[in-house]
Amino acid sequence: MADAVRPLDAVRSSPRRVRPIPWRTVLTYGVLLLGAVVALGPFLWMLSASLMRSSEIAAGRLLPEQLQINNYPEAWRLANLQQFMWNSVRITAITVGGELLFCIPAAYAFARMHFFGRSVLFGIMLSTMMIPAIATLIPNYLTVVWFSRLSESICGEACKWLDNWPSLTIPFMASAFSIFLLRQFFAQIPQELWEAARIDGAGHLRFLWSVVLPLSRAPVMTVAMFGFIGSWNALMWPLLVVQSDTWRPIAYGLQKFTQADAPNELHLQMAAAVLMIVPMLILYFFTQRQFTEGITSTGLKG
Amino acid sequence: MAAVPRQISRRRRILIENLTAYAFLFPAGLLIFLFGIFPVAFAFFVSLHRWRRFPDEYVGLANYERALGDFAYALFFYAAAAAIAAGGYLLWRLFKEARPRLWVVPPLLAGAANTAAILLFTRWFFTLLPVILNIPVRLRGQERVQGLFVSELFASFQFPEVVAAWFPALAVVLAAVMVSYGAVRLARRNETAGRHLWLATGAGLLLALGALALNLTLEAIGAAAEAAQADGSELPIWSQIVFISLGMAAVAAAYQVWTRAARRWGDRQLVIGLAAAALLLVGGYALVTEVPRLLAAADRNMMSGFSVTIMYAAGAVPFQLMIGLGLAYLLFQKIRGTTAFRMVFFLPYIMPFVATSMVFSLLFSHRQDSLANHLIGAFGIPPQKWLLEPIGIFQLIFGPQIPSWLAGPGLALVVIIIYTVWTYSGYATVVFLAGLGNISGELYEAARIDGASGWQIFRNITLPLLSPTTFFLMLVATIGTFQAFTQIWMMRTPAAGRAVDNMSIYIFERITDASPNYGYGSALAFVLFFVILILTVTQNRIAGRRVFYG
Repeated sequence: MADAVRPLDAVRSSPRRVRPIPWRTVLTYGVLLLGAVVALGPFLWMLSASLMRSSEIAAGRLLPEQLQINNYPEAWRLANLQQFMWNSVRITAITVGGELLFCIPAAYAFARMHFFGRSVLFGIMLSTMMIPAIATLIPNYLTVVWFSRLSESICGEACKWLDNWPSLTIPFMASAFSIFLLRQFFAQIPQELWEAARIDGAGHLRFLWSVVLPLSRAPVMTVAMFGFIGSWNALMWPLLVVQSDTWRPIAYGLQKFTQADAPNELHLQMAAAVLMIVPMLILYFFTQRQFTEGITSTGLKG
Repeated sequence: MAAVPRQISRRRRILIENLTAYAFLFPAGLLIFLFGIFPVAFAFFVSLHRWRRFPDEYVGLANYERALGDFAYALFFYAAAAAIAAGGYLLWRLFKEARPRLWVVPPLLAGAANTAAILLFTRWFFTLLPVILNIPVRLRGQERVQGLFVSELFASFQFPEVVAAWFPALAVVLAAVMVSYGAVRLARRNETAGRHLWLATGAGLLLALGALALNLTLEAIGAAAEAAQADGSELPIWSQIVFISLGMAAVAAAYQVWTRAARRWGDRQLVIGLAAAALLLVGGYALVTEVPRLLAAADRNMMSGFSVTIMYAAGAVPFQLMIGLGLAYLLFQKIRGTTAFRMVFFLPYIMPFVATSMVFSLLFSHRQDSLANHLIGAFGIPPQKWLLEPIGIFQLIFGPQIPSWLAGPGLALVVIIIYTVWTYSGYATVVFLAGLGNISGELYEAARIDGASGWQIFRNITLPLLSPTTFFLMLVATIGTFQAFTQIWMMRTPAAGRAVDNMSIYIFERITDASPNYGYGSALAFVLFFVILILTVTQNRIAGRRVFYG
């Protein structure tokens, strides 16, 4: 739209007279810049504080006197970040993989197939989004404990759920929100494509795999990104189901480091926090366009 | 691919389509049911028992009484009434829609059968559940042999009470399937047959649930009244329920009258407005005097957690929305770098709460030299203890003579509210931006031609057309703040005491401390769930009417 207006503007304003910058524009940019500073400030200060000495942070300095690059290796070592990062990467990969594997077919069925009880099942599924996580915390914990004992009895220590990956990943592999988001997109794919595929002898699975999925890269990315954020940030559930460092995710590790292991090493805390957000930052940088558009197109968040 | 037979009968194709769809749905559906729907019933079941690690005896509403005092009875009474009313409404819809009238019979029969089947099946399942959950208790002291748990699991199905519940359930489920099938077949030419079947089943379930809840309430009230009589005191619960009902009715009537008054003119409006105010006053008085009396014996810590939850939402949500709307409106003014700004504003929302709340607890540190203290020092305000300060914000500003019920959120909670506004405003901005993009440019053009000012355009075009977005964000933000956990868990300090502990934290503590109490924790969680539900419905009813959908 902006492009359509511009040529007209060019005609109107004579080339010689320099138009004064309207104060409204200045104000707009001023407020937006202020917002940007407030939004970014804590991140910048975190970065700066991660390079300070602990005493400098306590003194409320804005910038370090001398860059303490050594904070990073020290935090990495002391907070056992290598282990926690690896744990979170594993947990996230399993969760997101499972989520895509389960949610894509379900969303496809809701979007493009006709079956008995479709609207009712869809409504029930949507209503689960209104149930707060805390309300299901206790029963889900009891369920997971029980499954843990069952599977441990069947195939030994290695397949228990508690303190192991199943308790951290399986309950999050199906999300009503992801199914909803994908369904909205799948439903927009033209019916003619399906007719054509059916004439060529393709079934639903084939159509989903070779037509729908290649067209749906953006929503699939959005769902994956949400899954990634969810498992990377998870704290309450891991606090409940994990007791040892072998599967503690990074959020839990960082929480333990700040509150129990090194409550006074403020500089190391900040360095560890920076290290925790770096993977997220990189991912966000590369996917932000699809991601924000995925949110705005559905206007929803899980 | 195998050659497709040219003529598959239509029925077979429908069957195959159905089966494929269910196969596609199965894994996700199973997980959503297991970890999203079933837990609600499970939590309720747990909350009706004494339950520390393992299921113990049935205690009725005792856990709710412990949490809410006598208010528990009123709550369950109203829940039962609401379920029955909703069931009745569905029935009424069914009767209204069925043409000819006689068509109401098959779905009614099928609905009754389905309800009975679901109830009996649920009864069987919840008879089985404690038996299988208690397997570890029964195996205690035995040597750990592989497969022992499984054999005990199979044995659980043979328990006499489980078997006794199984056969009626099985019989009724089979009967219900047949009746439902018959009802749909019978009405094959009637397109709404499926819908009527669901309506009838929903009505039956709601009515049955309401009846069960009512029974539970009456049982609990009876037991409490007996105990009170033995004490020589009395339990005025019925008169209180009547009083509160009248109060609520008066408030609802006031709202109705008020919305009507807006459409009248002149003196009439004044009179009606006065009537509404009078009704509101009477109803409010009834509620304000009665509800605290019912809550007198409630759990103090729960009440504090609850008020923190409310203050947190009330403090965070309006600012989030206002800042989000403001930034989105500015971003929408055809400026350079919209994408960059949007990306920056959105950053706090997606970054891990654990990391960013660590930063905020250092920014708002209690030390004299913390950055927050430097900042307020520039305005001549003495240094504060921030996250360590439980004293209410208004008491800090206006002095200790402010009564405690007006003290407002503790300063520690204010810091957490600031943090929350910081994180969520960017999300609101992005969603508002999308909402603004959906408003047709022609409307603005037309308004500008008519000579409307910027403010008039904003007030009369942007705001009304944006109301679905605002409504959606309000709902999401309220529910989100009601269940906040991570940021509070990270920023709470022993010095601040209970000033920042919301319901989520309190519930979480009930199940992770030295003697976990799952029964009580579940009751608290269920109360919170209930409040969120009521809030959602109320917002839907009140705001939903004002929302203008294009």
